[in-house]
Amino acid sequence: MLYLSQVLGRPIVDLEGERVATLNDVIVRLGEDDHPPVAGFVARYRRRNFFLPRWRFSHFDEQGVRLNSDILDLRPFTRRDGEVLLARDVLDKQLIDAAGKRVVRVNDVQIIEAAGEWRVTGADVSLAGLWRRLSPGFMRRGTPVEVIDWADVGYLATDAATVQLKSSRGKLTRLHPVEIARLAEAFSYQQGAEIVESLDDETAAETLEEMAAARQAQILGDMDEERAADILEHMSPDEAADVLGDLPEDKAEDLLNRMEDDEQSEVAELLPYEDDTAGGLMTTEFVTLPRDLTVGEALARLREMAETPNMIYYLYVVEGEQSWKLVGVIALRSLILSDPSLPLAEVMRTDLQVAHADDNADDVAQKIAEYNLLALPVVDEIGDILGIVTFDDAIELLLPKDWRQRLPRLLA
Amino acid sequence: MSEPRTNVGTAGRRILLRGAQGVRRTVARRPRIFLYFSILGPGIITANAGNDAGGIATFASVGADHGYKLLWLLIPLTISLGIVQEMCARMGAITGKGLADLIRERFGVRWTALIMLALLVANAGVTVSEFVGIAAAMELFGIARYFSVPIAAVAIWWLVVRGSYQRVERVFLVMSLVFLGYIVSAFMAHPSWPTVAREMAHPSFEFSPLFLFTFIAIIGTTISPYMQVFIQSSVVEKGVRTENYSLTKADVWIGTIFAIAIVFFIVISTAATLNVQGEHVDSAAQAAHALRPLAGVYAQLLFGIGLFGASMMAAGVVPLATAYSISEAFGFEKGVSNTFREAPTFLGIFTFLVALGALIGMLPGLPIIRVLLITQVINGILLPIILIAVLRLVNDRELMGRHVNGPIYNIAAWVTTLIVSASSLLLIIVTIIR
Repeated sequence: MLYLSQVLGRPIVDLEGERVATLNDVIVRLGEDDHPPVAGFVARYRRRNFFLPRWRFSHFDEQGVRLNSDILDLRPFTRRDGEVLLARDVLDKQLIDAAGKRVVRVNDVQIIEAAGEWRVTGADVSLAGLWRRLSPGFMRRGTPVEVIDWADVGYLATDAATVQLKSSRGKLTRLHPVEIARLAEAFSYQQGAEIVESLDDETAAETLEEMAAARQAQILGDMDEERAADILEHMSPDEAADVLGDLPEDKAEDLLNRMEDDEQSEVAELLPYEDDTAGGLMTTEFVTLPRDLTVGEALARLREMAETPNMIYYLYVVEGEQSWKLVGVIALRSLILSDPSLPLAEVMRTDLQVAHADDNADDVAQKIAEYNLLALPVVDEIGDILGIVTFDDAIELLLPKDWRQRLPRLLA
Repeated sequence: MSEPRTNVGTAGRRILLRGAQGVRRTVARRPRIFLYFSILGPGIITANAGNDAGGIATFASVGADHGYKLLWLLIPLTISLGIVQEMCARMGAITGKGLADLIRERFGVRWTALIMLALLVANAGVTVSEFVGIAAAMELFGIARYFSVPIAAVAIWWLVVRGSYQRVERVFLVMSLVFLGYIVSAFMAHPSWPTVAREMAHPSFEFSPLFLFTFIAIIGTTISPYMQVFIQSSVVEKGVRTENYSLTKADVWIGTIFAIAIVFFIVISTAATLNVQGEHVDSAAQAAHALRPLAGVYAQLLFGIGLFGASMMAAGVVPLATAYSISEAFGFEKGVSNTFREAPTFLGIFTFLVALGALIGMLPGLPIIRVLLITQVINGILLPIILIAVLRLVNDRELMGRHVNGPIYNIAAWVTTLIVSASSLLLIIVTIIR
């Protein structure tokens, strides 16, 4: 087992054991491999870097590298696509440990030989790794190290654009969007954006929803427009409307018009409302059922819906097909427990609480808390249902501000 | 049931039913804060954070001991402070990363260890100076430091760890605005404006230890290492980007000029009150005399409020920023939402600095003004280490692309670094010889 810090600067010797160059960096090809193989070295000779491919050397250990021929190709080194230089791109950089769900800094890189191949097996993130590089040789001891399996590296925060791990998407998707968002926020803005972009549309949308509003707008605003529109389609309409409201006008318009018709109209309907009103807080994803259906028919319809909104615990009963006039509400629980032959009108509750689109958002949140509701319908002046305010958005308003911020800012 | 979904759907579908499909949509603009105000701030706040306990003490004794003689220094100081702050703000905007982060990624472990050690020592000095400031301020109100300092330390520690420091911070900020009173006081003290103008135009320099000491204290308190860390991280946190960086640049320069202007009036008002009477500044009570032309018998009260506010603010922020920087550089878990078990190093550094500051601040018979000056000198001596790191980073093309320094900028920045380094060395040599 080798550590990168121990081999950097070691001599590269020829067949006679004569020093011909110095080991400057280790090249790794990142691919689908969990433990990517060493593809070669960057060797330094007379202030010039050249490439030393894998098949040119026979030994590689703490003493350095031994060549297997006397022929050296001294053409200067240039990086090719997909190549990572361990010292330059990995050492000292931050990465996401998908298994430990945390952001760590690489203090050293572990390389292990197996079946004639040297492979990158892990990133040392321990204090011992730090000490190995800080201290003079004689003070190094065999202290236990804390190594992150390279297979668990979810994201590598490096400036070399071409090196993003091909398999990182899958590793991050194992995490909950809340966790991905928390991890992404530990990185710089650009790297956070890179993380979000590497996710699939659905996960990216859920992750963005967990991030600070200003950051959501920044990331989507800088993204390729088509991709941004795709992600917006997967966000809940109220969150999407909030993000668009935070973007510059022409940018928001552009993104909105790139969205699919269905999602576009849902979001567009929410845009005119002020942030701090019930309208600004509500989502347009909810279920309505005409009052003349029976319980059984209603359940059948729910099952046949192509896309179920997140919030189906409350079903809103309207006057008839094509109508939006709100007449009652049924909890999913009572729908399931009721006799399937009963008409909805007999099962529903008519004494329901409602809000109006221009009601103060804090009052609405308060009402949801007071009546122990999961959602509160928002109606217009003639009693048509416009949307619902769900309790999760209400909680955000009710919790004290500091509590919501995971990291306090240094300066106000 | 041929069309089961006609009415089981979302309100979004409702718009389609009403025939709104295919209409090119426009986005109604919601009122929100004008971009300018959302970006303005870090430069002004950071530059004026320099006018804390150490800053007030330094400039009060400059005015008292040297009169108007050192006023000329404020002109090059403005340029140097502005340039240094601007470089860090620019790095924050372009890279989106904090200073400690960049140092580690570009310089490797050994240099990082050295730079972080320098930062830790300098910031420990600043923290001590803030607690000394708290002690001095409360003693003006007749409260012994044995009461005020431990209570302040526990309060700061508790508020920061609870995450509610930000709210009280504003109160302290408002309190420290009292120092604006120096501007009025300077005019009311009727200084000799022709002398002021003459001294501004005639740089004077001596090689005496006292002069060098004061010289470095002035630089150290104005261009403190922690300010570079501050400005960069607050630019990053504000999410300033390359496109709207010009606003931040303006903010940095406005902040710099404003901060130095306050310093200018502090020196003038102390020179016109204390220096003409041959008084020195050895205590907070004497430093408060400079506010007499404005506040009369209430000068001490005013000074005490300002000193307390400024010191309390920095006493929380500086240890916190230090803990963040070091944790960021070495990859330790950070953030006040963690417990001691989760982030031992981060909370350990923070607690250690607060405790150290409080302990030294409580020492009986501490020569307050002297200690404040010494902490600023430590800042000045360690400043070149940070400046060299900043200059190497900001000129790194891989990092900054076309936003590296221009030649004139570089010359000015290197000259600043060289002068600070040379005078620091000189002071060390002169002190050792003596």
